[in-house]
Amino acid sequence: MRNAFFIYGLTILSALAWAEYRGWSLNRVDEVKNVPRSVRDNPGSYRSVYGYYHHYTGGK
Amino acid sequence: MSSSGPTPSSNPQVKALNCPGCGAALTLRSFSQAVTVVCDSCHSILDAQDPRLKILQKFQVETSEDPPLIPLGNRGTIRGAQYEVIGFQRRTIRVDGMPYSWHEYLLFNPFKGFRYLTEYNGHWNDASVLRAIPVSSPGANTLNYLGETYRLFQTANAETGYVLGEFPWQVRVGETAEVSDYISPPRVISSEKTDQEITWSMGEYLAGRDVWKAFKLAGNPPQAVGVYENQPSPLIGHVKAVWKLCAAFLLALVVLIIGFYATARNEQVFSQSYSFNTNGKTEASFVTDVFELKGRTSDVEIDTQAGVNNSWIYLNYALINEDTGHAYDFGREVSYYSGYDSDGSWTEGSQKDSVTIPSVPPGRYYLRVEPESEYYRGTIYYSIALRRDVPQFSFFGIAALALLIPAGFITWKFMNFEHLRWAESDYSNSAGSDDNQNAGSAAGIAGGIGTVAGLIGDALDIADE
Repeated sequence: MRNAFFIYGLTILSALAWAEYRGWSLNRVDEVKNVPRSVRDNPGSYRSVYGYYHHYTGGK
Repeated sequence: MSSSGPTPSSNPQVKALNCPGCGAALTLRSFSQAVTVVCDSCHSILDAQDPRLKILQKFQVETSEDPPLIPLGNRGTIRGAQYEVIGFQRRTIRVDGMPYSWHEYLLFNPFKGFRYLTEYNGHWNDASVLRAIPVSSPGANTLNYLGETYRLFQTANAETGYVLGEFPWQVRVGETAEVSDYISPPRVISSEKTDQEITWSMGEYLAGRDVWKAFKLAGNPPQAVGVYENQPSPLIGHVKAVWKLCAAFLLALVVLIIGFYATARNEQVFSQSYSFNTNGKTEASFVTDVFELKGRTSDVEIDTQAGVNNSWIYLNYALINEDTGHAYDFGREVSYYSGYDSDGSWTEGSQKDSVTIPSVPPGRYYLRVEPESEYYRGTIYYSIALRRDVPQFSFFGIAALALLIPAGFITWKFMNFEHLRWAESDYSNSAGSDDNQNAGSAAGIAGGIGTVAGLIGDALDIADE
């Protein structure tokens, strides 16, 4: 059991070090490929994945 | 069951006799050491010291009486010496009116003398009479024997219900003795108190398969049921080792935290303030100036701060690589509400937001931002800041949990085993109040006594023993 936990702990720390090194995050974002260069000149031509989001407008 | 020793002759040397009650043949295996011998046919207890085998007692046998699991006359090697099973008895205690019976096998070696195998619900003990008297602690339910502390587990009156074979004492069916068990798993010290004497014996837990192997018995031993009083925990020794490793890993984790925080770039690569006119009818989206993300592939943290009050702003973000056209698309809402009602003042939300984009390769990037909000809420001022290579503390928290959970689970399993053990004890309630709180504290868990740290500490104490 000691050896198993030793290997387990090493795996956890290695995974953590790799995740930190590679800049992993718990947040998820969508990735879009080949966004045209024209977006810089015409930002409105890009349609965000997150457009038309239903917003909370309440409060307590 | 190690070390060598003299063994009796491989050919059984027995003395043939006949029962004066029924005439059935009797066998004496311990020669002159037998004080009483039982006739298996008519269930008479005979005086083995009397040449005429005087009948001392006759007893009735119930049809449900279990025969010995190890037949009389069988020989097995215990601790390197060969012993023969010469006697068998069933003894019973009553707790709250419920009978609990165990079996005792009397073993004999002409050079080593007598020893016992006891069996209860598939749990076995190898026992022998103590040569020295254990030292009892005044005011505490403990004994000390050869530097080891034994905790009182149970005291009860045991009645002999069935006997078979021969015995080196005046055995009788129906005789009683006050039996007390003191445990220090895997050992148990038992005292048997009668009007005439107190006998001390020590037992050591044996697995049924070891008994079967020692006596070369066919088939499998009965399955052990529950946790026995001196049954060693299968996790003994593991708990402390695992916690030591866990502490070492947590220390390494702290070193990693310090290392990553010390070496991370944590560099602000972009910062700008903006305003959003909610009354405007024109296109709200815009792009920022190009900024460079340097170094290796790592994360980017985007902080948004907005002057919203009882309102919200939603920002559609796209972090776009100018050269490759690769974009990271996400949206963030910043909302803040406050007010006052019958419960007093309240607030909800925050004027700040932070999000981390994972694994962004180095390159030249810009942000495409598209703000949204309710119409006609005036102008909302907000600012955006980007930081490159920011350590994520959440991972360290997850790693710490991932290390603590298995260690905690093993500790819980260990304490649960001790709880099951002490649940059968007459003295589990007082266990936690004694100096040596080891297993008693485990029993205390059921009552929710003690702090988690205290329990873990206690578990380590037990595991260390």
